[in-house]
Amino acid sequence: MKRLQDVEHHETEDLYYPTMCKVIGAKQITEMEKWYELEMPEGQSLGHGPGQFVEVSAFGIGEAPISISSSPSKNGKFELCIRQVGTLTNVLKNYETGDSMGIRGPFGKGFPMEKLFGKDILVVAGGIGLVPLRSLINYVLDNRKDFGRLIILYGAKTPSELLFTDELKMWKDRDDVELHVTVDQPDETWKGNTGVITTLIPSLDLKLNTTIAAITGPPVMYKFVVMSLKSKQLPDDQIYLSLERRMKCGVGKCGHCQINGVYCCQDGPVFNYVDIKPLEEAL
Amino acid sequence: MECFSLLRSDVPALIDHLGDFGEVIAPHGKGDVSYSFEAVQDSCDVVLDYNRTLLPLKKMFLPPVEKLMGFSLKNESYEQVDVAITSRVFFGVHSYEMQSILRLDHSMLTGSAESNYFKRRQSSRFVGISFEPDEFHFSESVGIVIEEMEGFDLFLNEVDGDFQLYVLTENGQEMLNGFDKINITEPEIVEGRHFKKKIRYHYNRLPRVFQYAYHSEVWADVASRCVGCGACTLTCPTCFCFDVQDEVEVTAEDGIRQRSWDSCMLSTFAEVAGGENFREKTINRTRHRLYRKFKYITDEEGLPWCVGCGRCTAFCPAGISMPDIVNELIQEDEKAQYHRTVRV
Ligand SMILES: Cc1cc2nc3c(=O)[nH]c(=O)nc-3n(C[C@H](O)[C@H](O)[C@H](O)COP(=O)(O)OP(=O)(O)OC[C@H]3O[C@@H](n4cnc5c(N)ncnc54)[C@H](O)[C@@H]3O)c2cc1C
Ligand code: SF4
Ligand code: SF4
Ligand code: FES
Repeated sequence: MKRLQDVEHHETEDLYYPTMCKVIGAKQITEMEKWYELEMPEGQSLGHGPGQFVEVSAFGIGEAPISISSSPSKNGKFELCIRQVGTLTNVLKNYETGDSMGIRGPFGKGFPMEKLFGKDILVVAGGIGLVPLRSLINYVLDNRKDFGRLIILYGAKTPSELLFTDELKMWKDRDDVELHVTVDQPDETWKGNTGVITTLIPSLDLKLNTTIAAITGPPVMYKFVVMSLKSKQLPDDQIYLSLERRMKCGVGKCGHCQINGVYCCQDGPVFNYVDIKPLEEAL
Repeated sequence: MECFSLLRSDVPALIDHLGDFGEVIAPHGKGDVSYSFEAVQDSCDVVLDYNRTLLPLKKMFLPPVEKLMGFSLKNESYEQVDVAITSRVFFGVHSYEMQSILRLDHSMLTGSAESNYFKRRQSSRFVGISFEPDEFHFSESVGIVIEEMEGFDLFLNEVDGDFQLYVLTENGQEMLNGFDKINITEPEIVEGRHFKKKIRYHYNRLPRVFQYAYHSEVWADVASRCVGCGACTLTCPTCFCFDVQDEVEVTAEDGIRQRSWDSCMLSTFAEVAGGENFREKTINRTRHRLYRKFKYITDEEGLPWCVGCGRCTAFCPAGISMPDIVNELIQEDEKAQYHRTVRV
């Protein structure tokens, strides 16, 4: 047990003060989602790893946990992509180039990159789940020779909800990326796959001993994706999932993000499937 | 360990004397039924015999509402809050309450050590006092006897209406310098103070009970009576969850960000945008509350995170009793074991 006597003053932290970051780029990329590029003051870098998140502040409204969407290899600047779903996120919609955004973090455990080097990476992104996984994808692309295959499965409700369409095109055109996109409800122009994301899994040809899966999506998605991967015999410990929970502090204090005895903001949001399998509240 | 005798009538003089070491905070009566830790104005108002305060001593270190920063909407900027480090003497604290502060220290200082909490917690001295257990206390069942003196600088043990004063630390010694109403004496063991409420197992067997209790039928029964008011967690001395809100002044130019105690028993505690609620039903929340007290943290730290103060039970409008739930789980576990053996 940690005791007061064990703690020195200089070891304590002011946990709740944001750093004011400048918005240097902003663009509404779909009906619901806006992309932002931010810059830390005095040329600092955020120092995040793929899969980590920040707490974004708008004074007078509050804070929300938001994934860092850019690769750490992009120095000094970082990107967010925020879906407008409620009070705070709708206020953030009005933020444009030149405004300041309060940022705390980076927080949480991202993808354990040391275990991913040399492996085939299978990314499974449902909807807004592409936002955190984009940091992983771009990290792999920036260090392409350090990884094996890069397979990306991406599902959205409709074609108009697809995020980062320019990048999707770029990925599609590269011969070192295997991209498979599907939509639940196609429109007249849609020529690609239709159906939920799990329909993309059976036909995949995976090298079981070297493939690492990284999954993010809406809460309902996880169980089904894990089931499909297991029926392909992918070992449990090669599956990583990034989970969403309500979060207030991001630093293991406020209690909101607990999954049974685990704090999602500290032990996650990226978990190895083996570690959360025994947790009844996880999936 | 030195021990002195002290007359009950001389306790106010001791409290006055302790004022030299900082602001003295002690239990006060609020009507006949409710007690509260307050700063001492007149040492004669301090209550020496009380069962429990409504709000735990925690409120002095983790205030119910705390300003985290002030901000200006116009300038998109904020101002830091200076948490003052002040010397304080907490007088008349029960052993379970002291144990709750030691647990709170762990919760707030482990991982990221929070500066706000640390500053408030620094420079505090504690004077304990014995108590007569009522029908709700069960701290002995979680390993905390009435005379548990860990964490205290001084401890007052009531003997036949007067007190024996134990000196436990150098700070305690210093606090008695120049106080002459005490006489050295032999420590006595006080008999006859008994806990009326008990958990049937030693607390070190509880993690095992909880290991198998996740799908117990007890949860549904408790949940059917719970009204979800959150009183149990808001009065609990070891609960530390909080919410953060921004408040804007009517001028709409400035405001503050503050945090306030929150409760995992409230229905929206684990809800996210889009309506997904990760502990949607009362049964999920009731179970979570007890697992937080007897399993999750306990597995890591080896101690129950419930200190047996009885507040959650005493102040529950539905009469839901913490030790009763645990005893029901034990009973159910015994039955299950019996069936397991019979089948084998
Ligand atoms: C680790 C993590 C990463 C995330 N990454 C992104 C991302 O990259 N892009 C994106 O658009 N969204 C992301 N989210 C979801 C985002 O945090 C919520 O959509 C947002 O908090 C909703 O806030 P609101 O005020 O607009 O909604 P409201 O529904 O108005 O929120 C009401 C209250 O609930 C709280 N709340 C609601 N949902 C959440 C939630 N999921 N987590 C924490 N608090 C919540 C808010 O703090 C607020 O106080 C992420 C969530 C987590 C946990
Ligand atoms: S105090 Fe009683 S009724 Fe209220 S939330 Fe707690 S258990 Fe339920
Ligand atoms: S759970 Fe109940 S009895 Fe235990 S410490 Fe909290 S309020 Fe006291
Ligand atoms: S977000 Fe506060 S504890 Fe995890």
